[in-house]
Amino acid sequence: MSDELKIVVLIKQVPDTSSVAGVNPDGTVDRARAKRMINPFDKFALQKALELRAEHGGVIIAISMGPPPAIEVLFDAIEHGADKGFLLSDKRLAASDTLATAYALFKCIEYIKDVDIVFTGLQTTDGDTAQTGPQIAERLNYPQITYCEDLIVENGKVKASRIIDGGVQKLEAPMPILVTVANSATRLEHKQFANVYRSKELLRDEQAKKERIQLLDLDKINADPKKVGLVGSPTVVGKTWKIGEKGGSCRLFKGAAVSKEVETLVDCLSTEGRGIEEYVR
Amino acid sequence: MNNFENVFVIADQIQNDLRPVSMELLGAAKELAEKLGVKVQALVMGHNLKDIPQILIERGADEVYIVDQPELKEYTTLTYRRAAIAVLNSFEKPPHIVLCGATTLGRDLAPRIAAYFETGLTADCTELDIGEYTHKGKADPSKIGTFKNCLYAIRPSFGESLKARILGPWKNPQMATARAGAMIPSRVNTKRSGEIIPMKVEFDKSDFRVKVIETIREVSKDLDLVKAKVIVSGGFGLGGEEGFNLLKDFSTIFNDSAIGASRKAVDSGWIPYAHQVGQTGKTVRPVVYIALGISGAIQHRVGISNSETIIAVNKDENAPIFQFAHYGIVGDLYEVVPLLKEQFKKVMGN
Ligand SMILES: Cc1cc2nc3c(=O)[nH]c(=O)nc-3n(C[C@H](O)[C@H](O)[C@H](O)COP(=O)(O)OP(=O)(O)OC[C@H]3O[C@@H](n4cnc5c(N)ncnc54)[C@H](O)[C@@H]3O)c2cc1C
Ligand SMILES: Nc1ncnc2c1ncn2[C@@H]1O[C@H](COP(=O)(O)O)[C@@H](O)[C@H]1O
Repeated sequence: MSDELKIVVLIKQVPDTSSVAGVNPDGTVDRARAKRMINPFDKFALQKALELRAEHGGVIIAISMGPPPAIEVLFDAIEHGADKGFLLSDKRLAASDTLATAYALFKCIEYIKDVDIVFTGLQTTDGDTAQTGPQIAERLNYPQITYCEDLIVENGKVKASRIIDGGVQKLEAPMPILVTVANSATRLEHKQFANVYRSKELLRDEQAKKERIQLLDLDKINADPKKVGLVGSPTVVGKTWKIGEKGGSCRLFKGAAVSKEVETLVDCLSTEGRGIEEYVR
Repeated sequence: MNNFENVFVIADQIQNDLRPVSMELLGAAKELAEKLGVKVQALVMGHNLKDIPQILIERGADEVYIVDQPELKEYTTLTYRRAAIAVLNSFEKPPHIVLCGATTLGRDLAPRIAAYFETGLTADCTELDIGEYTHKGKADPSKIGTFKNCLYAIRPSFGESLKARILGPWKNPQMATARAGAMIPSRVNTKRSGEIIPMKVEFDKSDFRVKVIETIREVSKDLDLVKAKVIVSGGFGLGGEEGFNLLKDFSTIFNDSAIGASRKAVDSGWIPYAHQVGQTGKTVRPVVYIALGISGAIQHRVGISNSETIIAVNKDENAPIFQFAHYGIVGDLYEVVPLLKEQFKKVMGN
């Protein structure tokens, strides 16, 4: 029996909020103008997949759901060493919440078949819910390990540790399984030249590109259009508003000798009833 | 027993220690239930739960469902999922609202339950409320209408400086996870009475697919950021891992203190994720939060805005942190911190 693994990594394209492009003065993001990037948390997931494949062999399939430009993150994944990419893109998916997104990604994974491990990032920087992974696992009836820090496969079993409040759990589980990778796991290695080269080739060779990156829509994966998009999302965003600017009341000490500033600060703290005295040893 | 419209809380306990987030959930649930004129129900799962159900009643639950079985001694997704779903399915109608803590337990469990019921779940809420909602979107005509008594699940949105109100009035239970530290815990009232309802759950073999080999609890007290009274927190301005040694040394002069960090410090590999404070880390509510070399990005700010006093040290007088800190020193933290330590001891030391 071969212990080669069929690994899926779920990767989302998100707006790059660290760049100024497309970030409005009020802090909202103009998605059309914003730069795009791979969800930083998903890099940790990809790295785990690369490590497992190096140890056991097998294939890494990156899946992304999003509008056509999301294909960029699949190229990125291939440059880092993923074997294949699938882009699920369909107008009917627009405005999907996590339940709907999880349903669509679940149908993709079903379509790909016989997967051993599904890796997701801990969360995204735009949706930021950390719930898509477990929701997919529920649909697949897979066990799951969230907040996973370390993971190895030994004798056909997954051995992993997961962060819990106040400690760590060491777990053992069978495959197939879904794992969400904590951002304290190893960071993504640099791209290898050969992979980057091969990925660039794909841009020139339409046939090769089709083999490496496949486009999917709802019909192809046999997904129920009523369970995705606006129609299939049980939640909506009702209203948004700016987080209140309290500001302005800071007592700022500057310009004097540091020792003087520190003295004044501690004096203020002790006379202004801040209750800190109680905690100084 | 009619279960219509109640507010249902899944309590968070580790080793029979009720987590603070459970009291915060009850605090929020009580307010919601009062607005709706309904009951607060709580569920606690585990083994040898002893007086936990009683504590839940004293903290505001009207009915406490307990599943106390050896299989639930340690948390695992599938066993707790089975138990929670069994209890929720035992009702004639699902509760109006189901709340969970946005802890490593709640964030693991709640999405499974929501997916099972195919209902909405809003992650990491910082406020909860009840109100009316009118849906006009034409994309799905079946959703149009005005809905009373909706759960308003309010959370910081998209890593931006916005808050969003998320609604899901079309299907019950309306679910949300609440971020630890963000809501006011309910007070203890030893005179409150309530009903304790033990439940027995049948597990399936498949529920034991994941085995807990070992649980390692952090013995070091300094990790309990959420409970700490004084937090000494470091950011990218520390310039390197060694910076945290200075912080640790500084923190030794405080009782009940813990070390916090910004995401950039964590992502740089200087300190483990468990120390991260902010939108994607922990929400804290200490008496004093001392931010050293932290710029004060909105995602950091949302995690510390419940601190009673925020003291910031930053080289850059225009750093955003000075807009919401209570006290600030403009200067090099490596110069300021040793002096600050001396001065605290001199003036306030016991
Ligand atoms: C979706 C999302 C979620 C996020 N979640 C979080 C989160 O949970 N927590 C979090 O913290 N961030 C989070 N972030 C990241 C956040 O936007 C900031 O990037 C981060 O908080 C910056 O960390 P910092 O303040 O340490 O670093 P910087 O912004 O680089 O600031 C370093 C500061 O140190 C000062 N400095 C430098 N040297 C010295 C010195 N010697 N003495 C004194 N001061 C000095 C500088 O003037 C500067 O102000 C999130 C971002 C996104 C998009
Ligand atoms: N549209 C998407 N395409 C691919 N993966 C996704 C998508 N949305 C979420 N995921 C995966 O689910 C994880 C958690 O996302 P979230 O629930 O949005 O915080 C991400 O880190 C991704 O691995």
